[in-house]
Amino acid sequence: MSNIFFIGLSLSSILLLIALGLSITYGAMGVINMAHGELVMIGAYTAVLSGIYLNLNLFFALPLAFLVSAAVGLLMERIIIRRLYGRIIDTLLATWGVAILLQQLIRLEFGLTFFGINIKGLGPGLQKMEVPLFLSENFDVLGVTVQPYRSFIILLTIGLALLTWYIMYRTSIGTQVRAIMRNPQMAAACGIDVKKVSAWTFAYGSGLAGVAGVLLAGFKAVVPTMGSSVVVDGFLVVVVGGVGSLLGTLLSAVVLGQINGFFAILTNDIVARAIVFGVVILIILLRPNGLFGFKSR
Amino acid sequence: MDKTESKFAQKLDWSVYILFFIVVLGLPLLTDDVFWLNRISKYLVYGMLGLAIALSWGYAGILNLGQGLFFGLGAYMFAMSLKLKSYTSLQQGSAEPVPDFMVWNAEPGTPTELCCIVPGSWLWIPFQSQTFGMFMSILLPVFIAFIVASAIFRLRVSGVYVAIITLALVLLVRLLIIDAQPLTNGFNGLTDLGWLTLKGFEFDPYMVATYYLVAISCCIVMLLTRWLVSTRAGLILQSTRDDPNRSRYLGYDVASYQIFFFVVSAAIAGFSGMLYVIAAEFASPTFLDITFSISMVVWAAVGGRSSLIGAVIGALLINSIEAAVSESEIFKEAWKLIIGVIFILVVLLLPRGIAGVARDFAGWLESKSLKAKNSED
Amino acid sequence: MNYAITIDGLTVNFGGFKAVDDFTTTVIDGELRVILGPNGAGKTTLMDLISGKTTASSGSVQLFGKAITGESEHKIARYGIGRKFQIPSIFRDLSVIQNLEVAASKEPSVFKNLKFSISSNETDKIKQVIELTELGPFLKKTAGDLSHGQMQWLELGMLITQGAKVLLLDEPTAGMTRQETEKTAEIINQLKGNHTILVVEHDMAFVRDIAEKITVMHLGKLLAEGPIDKIEKNEAVREAYLGSGGIH
Repeated sequence: MSNIFFIGLSLSSILLLIALGLSITYGAMGVINMAHGELVMIGAYTAVLSGIYLNLNLFFALPLAFLVSAAVGLLMERIIIRRLYGRIIDTLLATWGVAILLQQLIRLEFGLTFFGINIKGLGPGLQKMEVPLFLSENFDVLGVTVQPYRSFIILLTIGLALLTWYIMYRTSIGTQVRAIMRNPQMAAACGIDVKKVSAWTFAYGSGLAGVAGVLLAGFKAVVPTMGSSVVVDGFLVVVVGGVGSLLGTLLSAVVLGQINGFFAILTNDIVARAIVFGVVILIILLRPNGLFGFKSR
Repeated sequence: MDKTESKFAQKLDWSVYILFFIVVLGLPLLTDDVFWLNRISKYLVYGMLGLAIALSWGYAGILNLGQGLFFGLGAYMFAMSLKLKSYTSLQQGSAEPVPDFMVWNAEPGTPTELCCIVPGSWLWIPFQSQTFGMFMSILLPVFIAFIVASAIFRLRVSGVYVAIITLALVLLVRLLIIDAQPLTNGFNGLTDLGWLTLKGFEFDPYMVATYYLVAISCCIVMLLTRWLVSTRAGLILQSTRDDPNRSRYLGYDVASYQIFFFVVSAAIAGFSGMLYVIAAEFASPTFLDITFSISMVVWAAVGGRSSLIGAVIGALLINSIEAAVSESEIFKEAWKLIIGVIFILVVLLLPRGIAGVARDFAGWLESKSLKAKNSED
Repeated sequence: MNYAITIDGLTVNFGGFKAVDDFTTTVIDGELRVILGPNGAGKTTLMDLISGKTTASSGSVQLFGKAITGESEHKIARYGIGRKFQIPSIFRDLSVIQNLEVAASKEPSVFKNLKFSISSNETDKIKQVIELTELGPFLKKTAGDLSHGQMQWLELGMLITQGAKVLLLDEPTAGMTRQETEKTAEIINQLKGNHTILVVEHDMAFVRDIAEKITVMHLGKLLAEGPIDKIEKNEAVREAYLGSGGIH
């Protein structure tokens, strides 16, 4: 029984990490970033490439991926999202375009494929990241089999969630972000530099996606399309949890992850996911603002 | 700027439609290449999908990110009928046809009967009638669209949440179709299908007659939809898009308009699913991939979301170019990148798409000619 | 005495906060009633209740003797109530004439509207409205491109085209220039008698121009009711709203 719980928990934690970043960008800026999955993918590729060319292992890849994804996110915000302020559906569509763009850039190895150059670690094929040995072997604690890598993911996710909570609720910049979430015009009137804070918030959320990508790279194949499957899951978690509510995102990730895990054992993985989609649809129909959301923006 | 219907703009609109029909219907006169014609018929189906999106999005303000659901359902419904007509299905040694994959999926020892070879296979029984399959192609999408739309619009869910629900829905059904392997052949989809037969005439997909079947259907759907949006109901629908509250206060049950047009859009998608199966000879869960559903939105956006014919042309254009570049793997991937960029640019700069550009150009021409006339006086 | 609107003990309770509290009044057919009151008095909520946007917690609203409490907005609109919003609420992407055409259709259902033609009654009505609002030269213009004042008149015009017998006007002169306000007063005065009008307003000069009877609201309750001079002299009203300067 605890095994089921554990699997569900590790599924939840990846979902949470992805959703955390999304929750911040969606809540803070009202932006539905369909390219969030690609930011995850970029994090994963950063891990792969830094492993190959810089000989960095997992632990160094994590902050590096954070920075790379954050930078890409910042670029996206500056060039595109800023111009679509307030137009939610257009942002959704434009970021979908960015998602395609990013996927193709990786596939085409930033255009170098045209010249016949192939960079190891890029391109349309599968890549993988080595997980440090001490994390990949299971060990026993008091009769319970512990999967260290999955435990590491859970711990890291909790850590990042706490860090995010701390930033949002205990620092002045976090207060500014929350003010912008509630009422951007008022926040601007109070002297908050909405543009700058929004941009950095978006970057932070994107950075979290990068970290999720590194973790995913440890047990999933790294391919250009790995992002698309996670972005929808992430969004559904965020929407169910409620716009702008970190707690809502957390609970939603846990609940949906658990439902998924539970039904996966009961029936199979596929039906479990279908059920989760069904649950999400019901929740959006009955409580469009999510379980903990408030109407803002 | 005056946006609406000057006489000139109306004439232009009609001439584009007529030109389109002439080209589409005249194509077989220009070539004997049935393979090429078959490809074009698939693009015409995509055109209809773009049109369905434009109807829902441009006119009703409802962004359906899961239109592939209705397309897929329509396709599967008819594919089931065609599957039962296929040679292999008739060779299983039973009185009625039994699809080959069911035999592969059956528990050893089960009699090869359509009613009970795999759990739920009796659902296939009525599909032995081709007419049933045709009706279901439209009825099932309509039925599901009606239920979904009623839930969404009566609960006054709006804007982006509608889009998210349609997205989740198509993903959900895709998973169910894949999971029901014994019934649907899962990932592999329905292949090895028979041909549509009308009054004894068999429609080989690589036949001019089949092309005309699809082309004429497409033209009729375009005309009917065009008629629909130019009625009072169409105008009222646009008002519900602009300001649903105001529409309500003028005495219109906004939800019923949204439901009606959402269902019409789904019916068009379902019908085009049927046509696709006739031309392409398969139905697959890939029809319900989100990338496909969102592509439809891209076609409509590039062509012009508020222009029915714009959306059709957008779909034709993009798919033709895609086909042209797919010879080379590299160019294919590069094209996808270009389309991504084009899409971003369209959303940022050209919200009314190519049709918008065309209309602006026509307006500019008109004002120039008016000026010229005035300066002559 | 034909009562267009009868409100009896109308109350709406938002989790303990009574936005409208036991409100009772009657409005005679053809009357023009101004609703005054400070911000938060419940004026807009009252309109929300009458037009069906908000459901009352208790009490009733009758339109020409027919109970309409709790009905949906579009049904109440068809019974004869037209509502004009503070921020002009028109169809910005449609042209002026299209706006009026939408308002003109007497049939609510989709199927009955699957036709092209406008009946001659509707055309006449629209012509009258165009004359009244002086929007003739702008018929093909996109409504979103009109000036603020023109948008307000278009909205008024749509209500008349809709065939509303009772008009609920929420600050119809908000954001208007002096001249636009005068023109609006003209239009409203022309509508008096043929229509029953409830106006929520702040602009005192405008109120003076059009008012017959005034109802003052305060904290959701009915504070005072009567002709202008009586209201001006009313102590409670002065304290709560007017200050000692009177209406000027």
